[in-house]
Amino acid sequence: MIRCGIVGYGFLGKRLASYLTRYKARGLALTILANSKGYLYSPTGFDSDSLPADIISHSGFRASNPVEVIGRGLVDLLVVLTPTNVYSGEPGLTYVREALKSGVDVVTADKGPLVVAFKELTSLAGSMGVSLCYEATVGGGIPIFSLARHSLRGDRILSIKGILNGTTNYILSRMHFEGLPLDLALQEAQMMGLAERDPSLDLEGIDSACKVVILANALLDLNKRLEDVKVKGITQVTSDAILAAKELGMTIKLVGSIEGGKLSVAPRLVRLNHPLCVHGSLNAIQFKLEILGDLTLIGRGAGESTLSALLSDIEWILAQKEASKGGR
Amino acid sequence: MRIRLTLGLTDRPGALLKALEKIAMNGGNIISIIHNREQLAGGYVPVSLSVEFPSSEHFERAKAGIEESGIPVLGTESLERRIETVIIIGSLSVDMLEKVFEGRGEIISLEFGGGSRSPHIRVMFSVSSEDRQAVLEALEELAEKNNCVLVSEEA
Ligand SMILES: NC(=O)c1ccc[n+]([C@@H]2O[C@H](COP(=O)([O-])OP(=O)(O)OC[C@H]3O[C@@H](n4cnc5c(N)ncnc54)[C@H](OP(=O)(O)O)[C@@H]3O)[C@@H](O)[C@H]2O)c1
Repeated sequence: MIRCGIVGYGFLGKRLASYLTRYKARGLALTILANSKGYLYSPTGFDSDSLPADIISHSGFRASNPVEVIGRGLVDLLVVLTPTNVYSGEPGLTYVREALKSGVDVVTADKGPLVVAFKELTSLAGSMGVSLCYEATVGGGIPIFSLARHSLRGDRILSIKGILNGTTNYILSRMHFEGLPLDLALQEAQMMGLAERDPSLDLEGIDSACKVVILANALLDLNKRLEDVKVKGITQVTSDAILAAKELGMTIKLVGSIEGGKLSVAPRLVRLNHPLCVHGSLNAIQFKLEILGDLTLIGRGAGESTLSALLSDIEWILAQKEASKGGR
Repeated sequence: MRIRLTLGLTDRPGALLKALEKIAMNGGNIISIIHNREQLAGGYVPVSLSVEFPSSEHFERAKAGIEESGIPVLGTESLERRIETVIIIGSLSVDMLEKVFEGRGEIISLEFGGGSRSPHIRVMFSVSSEDRQAVLEALEELAEKNNCVLVSEEA
């Protein structure tokens, strides 16, 4: 039985947990549920009917640092769904690092650890012979890393461009179609739950820049940090400027790009018929490949759809474990 | 199509004439000739010619003809012009913008919009593919210095 723990029992954590209870028959037991206050442990694994809505009020709740579940050897696979801090990487970084050090496979949706310590963590995973999967960190459910690693491995990625932040794309779309000023479009996004109460990381392009860093390090074998990205957000974009673009069959989009080793995020003029020109909270990512040419993926970059990426990572780890068992 | 050809001429008179003849024979129209006497590369005097050819086939034939007559072609580069648009959010003077294009590219239109509260300028310009990057970088620098945002076209 593979024992799986979830740290971060919020939006994604709760939804993932309910999917994972169905994996028992496949040899995966969900044994740990943790949040910032402590954790709940079930040696045999939670079932759909034993899955708590709230872990703190549960009788078995242990109010201590969840990192100890790694030291105590209670998990074989840790799913890290903690809030993102792109400057310190914490609290996710400690969980990811400690898990890898202890030979525990890791799946994370938290970008923080990867933005801060990509090389350290991937080499640690390599030297410990465990997996570190992070499909959910960029483009929500869109399969970017698995596609690149499996289906594109015979080709060479020359450049990557993308609309990597759903919040700003929603805002810019509303400005484009309705002529709304930025602040109204932002309020609307907040009301719809698409934007954080503090939307500055999105608006200033930092969230997109973090994703650009992860893409560059993971797919182009670069060793970049957030400081290496030239970032300009959308705070100064006006609906009049978007109208001026619209008159020429274009619009303004926040585009993250990696080209010739240079990383940038900036508002760009994009033709309305350009494959990257997606609207609403959609994300789009375009690879330029040596043989295939341009390849564009479009999909929902956040919300429930993110579970598709998390489950794909978990399936991959299960398959790896299955394969190594067979090899022994 | 506009091409810059750099030829290696010996200091003997007549060599340039021979090259010009091959270009003319293939429909090429000379825009400018730059002699660079100081820059001796392997005993040659490099001469740069900007030429407008009717097509790439004409250019290729001219190039082959020049080489056959014993004149080495040291380099060729396309001076194709492309028309591009940028929107600069914020305000800048016409002078400042014109300076950026001095000697490299041409402003086709400048449109000011957004009123005084949220001003922007839409600039349409033509530039050679060779100068494009430099022009965009200069525009970006200008925008940054004046607290504006340059929104350039995604290829
Ligand atoms: N939601 C999406 O659509 C989406 C998509 C892609 C990626 N992501 C990323 O996935 C992560 C989780 O997102 P979410 O929407 O599920 O967030 P969320 O609803 O805010 O949940 C975060 C969870 O992490 C817990 N937590 C906070 N500090 C912790 C600590 N020190 N140790 C253990 N747990 C801690 C919180 O517990 P408390 O309640 O006790 O504070 C909460 O249960 C974030 O990094 C996010 O950026 C989210």
